[in-house]
Amino acid sequence: MPDRSKGLSRAREIYLNRSQRARQLKAQGKKVLGYPCVYVPLEIITALDLVPYRTCGDIKEPVTEADRALPTAFCPVMRSCLDCALKAKDDFLDGVVTTHSCDPQEKTSHVWESYIEYPYFHFIDVPGTVRPESIEYYKGQLDDFRKTLESFVGKELSTDRLKAATGLYNQQRALVRELYELTKSAPPLISGTEIVEVVKALMSLPVSEGNELLAEVISEVKERTDGPERKPARLFVWTASLDDVDIMQMLEARANVVIDDSCGGLRAYRTDVKLADDPLDGLAHYYLEEITCARTFREATIGETSKDYAKDLQSRFGYLRRFIKEWNVNGVILLLVRYCDPFAFEMPALKDYFDSLGIPSTYIEYDYTRGALAPLRTRVEAFIETIA
Amino acid sequence: MHFAGVDIGSTMTKIVVIDTDGKLVSAIKGPTGPEHRRLANEVMKTALEQARLQLDDISYVVATGYGRLNVPFADRQITELTCHARGVSSLFPNVRTAIDIGGQDAKCLKINNGKLVDFVMNDKCAAGTGRFLEVVAATLGIKLEDMGAISLRSTRKVPISNFCTIFAQQEVVSHLSEGKKVEDIIAGLHDALASRVAALALRLKVEPDVVLTGGVAKNAGIVEAMKENLGCELLVPEDPLLTGAMGAALLAQELSSAAIAKGEPVPVEPRRLDKATFFK
Repeated sequence: MPDRSKGLSRAREIYLNRSQRARQLKAQGKKVLGYPCVYVPLEIITALDLVPYRTCGDIKEPVTEADRALPTAFCPVMRSCLDCALKAKDDFLDGVVTTHSCDPQEKTSHVWESYIEYPYFHFIDVPGTVRPESIEYYKGQLDDFRKTLESFVGKELSTDRLKAATGLYNQQRALVRELYELTKSAPPLISGTEIVEVVKALMSLPVSEGNELLAEVISEVKERTDGPERKPARLFVWTASLDDVDIMQMLEARANVVIDDSCGGLRAYRTDVKLADDPLDGLAHYYLEEITCARTFREATIGETSKDYAKDLQSRFGYLRRFIKEWNVNGVILLLVRYCDPFAFEMPALKDYFDSLGIPSTYIEYDYTRGALAPLRTRVEAFIETIA
Repeated sequence: MHFAGVDIGSTMTKIVVIDTDGKLVSAIKGPTGPEHRRLANEVMKTALEQARLQLDDISYVVATGYGRLNVPFADRQITELTCHARGVSSLFPNVRTAIDIGGQDAKCLKINNGKLVDFVMNDKCAAGTGRFLEVVAATLGIKLEDMGAISLRSTRKVPISNFCTIFAQQEVVSHLSEGKKVEDIIAGLHDALASRVAALALRLKVEPDVVLTGGVAKNAGIVEAMKENLGCELLVPEDPLLTGAMGAALLAQELSSAAIAKGEPVPVEPRRLDKATFFK
């Protein structure tokens, strides 16, 4: 029986030395695949007995190598990701899977593949809309992925194994949602900073080990008496990927961050994959429709956007209402990464949506470097001073 | 009882001491300098001397500005945005928009009944800040404090197309070599700065009364350029540098009253005029 009182500190240890488990598994003969984005269907990788490992950038690592391969006025997260790859930070990877979740990722894929040799590299195209024909196309893309992966490992993907893997990932999603229930209280029982560590740890472990860690963390957090201090502001953070505790600590200096829509947080766990007869149907639908990334063009019906703005806002962002109400949020941070067009273009409409809910929001931009964080503190604190 | 506001900006440090009636008892301004983090206590000593007070006579100290975390004798830190809103309101009760152009940043505040309700800030780029004027004044060989008066003599301002401070410098040199008049160049530079700040402010609804503060507001040419770019009248305090520290002092008074009403000790802890230290 694992020592259940050690969940949070185990998550922190993993966060600080993320690649340790993947390296161990590699030494045991497992194949490890890197993925830079939550659009990659981990179920397929796991069902073929490979280990998925989230490749991240590093805000503490100055970008020195990527500039010879990528433009500078470009997504700093992908730049950092490629920079780390060029510096062989994750040299244990047997391959990388990228997606067309956004243009920087699509464009970096070619560069990544050309500059570094991997035994396996696959790019999954992701359509921009969520129409029935898009889901059908995307299912075809997942099928192509399955085929190249089968070829790489030399065995076929069985439907049963895929269903089993989907079950395990759904379990993980449910456990993460259970963890977020514990931030509803005032003060929350777990801080935004601790959640960043836990989620990053999950993305560094095989799914069953991640589920074990989550169970430990949940039971520890439920019983704890040393939880976060109550602060005057309860914040919701909307962002691309918040993957470093320094960023969250800057936000939590005078506030409790209680809920998020972030790829370093709830985004990949918000809902479950619906199991269908053909598991690829369930996966295609989930990954295209349920991941709420700003890169997707959403319309309730074609032409809806111009007809009724308020209705359009509700159909695009209505899923956030529950977060604001149930978590008793009194302020929203729209945390944008510089040069991130999808999120930047989504932001004004999202702000209008929060205005319609009567919730104050503020826009904070950083460039995915640690140096950027100190001046942002003033803006965050001033915002909190207006709401608290 | 007395209250103090300590505003440590990127370029200037300002301290204001007020009495129970909210009246100014002393005000100190000095360059922050690279050692600012250690010297808040020195500037405070000067402010106290001027006010003929001891530190113990100050019931509550609020620190603000970039350096607010390095004032060990402060009872509370509050951002300069909230403090400016409060300070400007005390001078202009009908203010709804305040634009502060500082040494290294520019901000626009929306104010409602003395309270900050919304803001935009630029602290990533020197264009639209005092630094821009410092750099171009040096390029022109002119004292910063003379820029305003000279620019008002202009009859035909030279448009400056570069917003970037460094590239604007290059543009200035090329205009000089083409024989353009210095007052016309400065007027053009003022317009460039004002258009940057106005673009920032116009992200919020600019509603009267509109007040301009910050060291740059001492430049009469900038004030004219801002009026033109915003398309409205502007009010400027007699000392545009002090509104942050003033607001901090007034907030100190409010917090002190609130603490006393709750039966809490004031000052919060016994204070000493220590230098800031970085290691616990």
